[in-house]
Amino acid sequence: MPTRVVFSSSLSDRYTGGENDLEIDATSMRGVIRALEERFPGIGEHLEEETSVAIDGEIHETAYFQPLKDGSEIFFIPKLEGG
Amino acid sequence: MNQEVKPFKWIGTRQIRPDGVPKVTGTAKFGADYSLPGSLVGRILRSPHAHALIKSIDTSKAEALEGVKAVVTSDDFPNQNFEYIGPERVAVNFWHMTRNILAREKALYEGHAIAGVAAVDAATAAEAMALIEVDYEVLPHAIDVDDAMAEDAPLLFEDMITRGVEPAPTKPSNVSKILEFTLGDMAAGFAEADEVVEKDFKTAAVHQGYIEPHACLARYDADGQGEIWCSSQGHFVVRALTAKLLGMKLGDLRVNPAEIGGGFGGKTVVYVEPVAMALSKKAGHPVAITMTREEVFKSSGPTSGSSMTVKIGVKKDGTITAAEGTFRFQAGAFPGSPVMNACMCAFATYDIPNQHTVGYDVVCNRPKAAAYRAPGSPISAFGVESVLDILAKKIRMDPLEFRLKNAADVGTSMVYGPKLGHGGYKETIKALLDHPGYKAGLGPNQGRGAASGYWFNGGGESGATVHLNADGTAVVATGSPDIGGSRASMAIMAAETFGFDYDQVRATVADTTAVGYTHVTGGSRVTYATGIAVVNACKDAVDQLRARAAMIWEVDVDGVVWEDGHAKPAGSNVGDFDPLSLKDIAAKMGATGGAIGASSTVNAGGQAPGFATQYCDVEVDPETGKVTVLRFVAAQDVGRAIHPGYVDGQIQGGVAQGIGWALNEEYIYDDKGRLQNAGFLDYRVPVASDLPNIESVQVELPNPNHPFGVKGVGEVNICPVMAAISNAVANAVGRRMDSLPMSPPKVLDALDNRSAEEL
Repeated sequence: MPTRVVFSSSLSDRYTGGENDLEIDATSMRGVIRALEERFPGIGEHLEEETSVAIDGEIHETAYFQPLKDGSEIFFIPKLEGG
Repeated sequence: MNQEVKPFKWIGTRQIRPDGVPKVTGTAKFGADYSLPGSLVGRILRSPHAHALIKSIDTSKAEALEGVKAVVTSDDFPNQNFEYIGPERVAVNFWHMTRNILAREKALYEGHAIAGVAAVDAATAAEAMALIEVDYEVLPHAIDVDDAMAEDAPLLFEDMITRGVEPAPTKPSNVSKILEFTLGDMAAGFAEADEVVEKDFKTAAVHQGYIEPHACLARYDADGQGEIWCSSQGHFVVRALTAKLLGMKLGDLRVNPAEIGGGFGGKTVVYVEPVAMALSKKAGHPVAITMTREEVFKSSGPTSGSSMTVKIGVKKDGTITAAEGTFRFQAGAFPGSPVMNACMCAFATYDIPNQHTVGYDVVCNRPKAAAYRAPGSPISAFGVESVLDILAKKIRMDPLEFRLKNAADVGTSMVYGPKLGHGGYKETIKALLDHPGYKAGLGPNQGRGAASGYWFNGGGESGATVHLNADGTAVVATGSPDIGGSRASMAIMAAETFGFDYDQVRATVADTTAVGYTHVTGGSRVTYATGIAVVNACKDAVDQLRARAAMIWEVDVDGVVWEDGHAKPAGSNVGDFDPLSLKDIAAKMGATGGAIGASSTVNAGGQAPGFATQYCDVEVDPETGKVTVLRFVAAQDVGRAIHPGYVDGQIQGGVAQGIGWALNEEYIYDDKGRLQNAGFLDYRVPVASDLPNIESVQVELPNPNHPFGVKGVGEVNICPVMAAISNAVANAVGRRMDSLPMSPPKVLDALDNRSAEEL
């Protein structure tokens, strides 16, 4: 199932050699992260531990277990903390 | 998650708060109210200098004083690695944190903790502190963010290289980090604009102003286990930070939540707890530490002061074409201001195709900044919403209509990447356009101003347990300290889920051994995330109640439904049974298999952001420069209000704090970097007589990801306030105030020395 993954420039600078808009075939966020880790070693742990994820505009605190739809748009964003 | 569609019995009702009687009768126990046999008084010696090398600390005379049981310095704390752990915005560097708890090489601000003392009484502890000899070498200091960024500024850390810049600078500076977000094409966007306004602003650092000072009691036992009683916004976080700073195992430290007398973000970190625990370990007695008000101001986190530049372009028809913001935030003595939030929230309420935000995290000789109500967002909103007000006047458009024309909605691209997943902003604007006061006439020297704000709201990790009692009552325990009415909200959601009366539920806050990990009460996350955990646990218990009824009726559990607090046969084919109430089933719990209870832990996502739009009327006294707020109307998308009275309280509280930030609150330093107004007499938070009627307008667009439609409501209400007041002042007297607070001397100066009428 194709999904679109978009990285911020800080993530792409650090892990993907500047590539920031990718198509990943996966049915779950775990699958997306596994595929990204295979392609860009080291990114998986960062995504799991240090980012929130926005899937089709819905923000989730953790990337690990969220389900996906066909064509889902996925943004990894900094984790947020309020007051 | 499916949302309930039937009318609610308890959701949306204003129930009596379960913590009300203990608080008004004085029996509620706050952080300073705990004691144990043999407890000692702990005090902390603090730096009198804004910036100084610590050449030596001699504690021998203090330790020799009769009645002194322990003295600790940073030597009593393990070393920590220099590494940023965790996500970018909230990355913790324990090398920094341990130096904030007790200074090592340098004192970095007046009030920086140097040593802790435990003694048999307060007088002995004070005498011991006077006997500690600290050899300082005083250094030049930098208080203001622009001063700290200057080329020749004194450096707090001689080896600090700015992060976030490629290639990395070769020269150290006080700029800890630079971050940047971009959307679209800025040059093309500004080229399309008919009007462009660029303006600089400054905001003062302000304290959260909680009434209860930081206080704790700590006991370290001979077997290496410890226990803490303290007020905080998250006792699991107190446990995690204290254990890490002292090299303890999480399982060896139990933290008990006290009642909390306000936090607003400032009690999401630790100050006194690790020192009290280290003193207890050394003394062999429990140690209690309570900060004085002066210590609270000088040593605990305010939010950042800032300087910023905002530039926005607009077409004559009111379409915003481009927006740019540069935000420079004081982090205090260690890196970690909320400047990233400022960059992300600055233009989030608007559908602007071209955006660029840059943030600077800057260390300076002030206490380390801590979270404060929507951290970062109110600061950028002050600049952004002020510039929008100027632009609305330039194109002769009503300021609310201007905002409505450009309002973000579902699908709008955010500068930080994703598209907006939830709406609600437009509805807050429309609510004020329809408000009867918005077009009302004004008198001389009076003006009306409007502004908006955005906050992400939080989800995340929460734990809850529910247990039924034999008399049919229930106990709901969560790990969320109750700051804004969470016990009432949890009890309401439990009562609605069980289908019985609100007063049948006792909601409590459990300690770190009794419930699953729960993140802080902050980020407007508790009613959402902890609420989901409570509803999940209650639903699990309901399934158990159905199973017990099935056992009593000797039918299959699928033949039992739960309606209005009763087990009923699912259909006539199941059998002819009278409904069993929760109380009926609870009375037979022992016979049918034992106690009924359930736990739930969640890492909740799908939270919806908060939007607020406000207007206010002010009157400016041209003789004194004093600004009086005459009326304040605050609209907010609240999802679905579980307890509307508490939601009113959140909105009114956020506005009240914003009024203080707008008009009076600031830290005043002398030329040696020493704080001159470390008390509520001189640090001027608003009191009741300073405030107008604050009318809350609750707009309800339920969030489908929560069983009852909850959205966080605690923070976004402070975001628009300072700009709304500034816009009103500009309309009242024709002076654009670009620096907070808009205190009487500044307003008078603008009236006396700036002759031209300003938008």
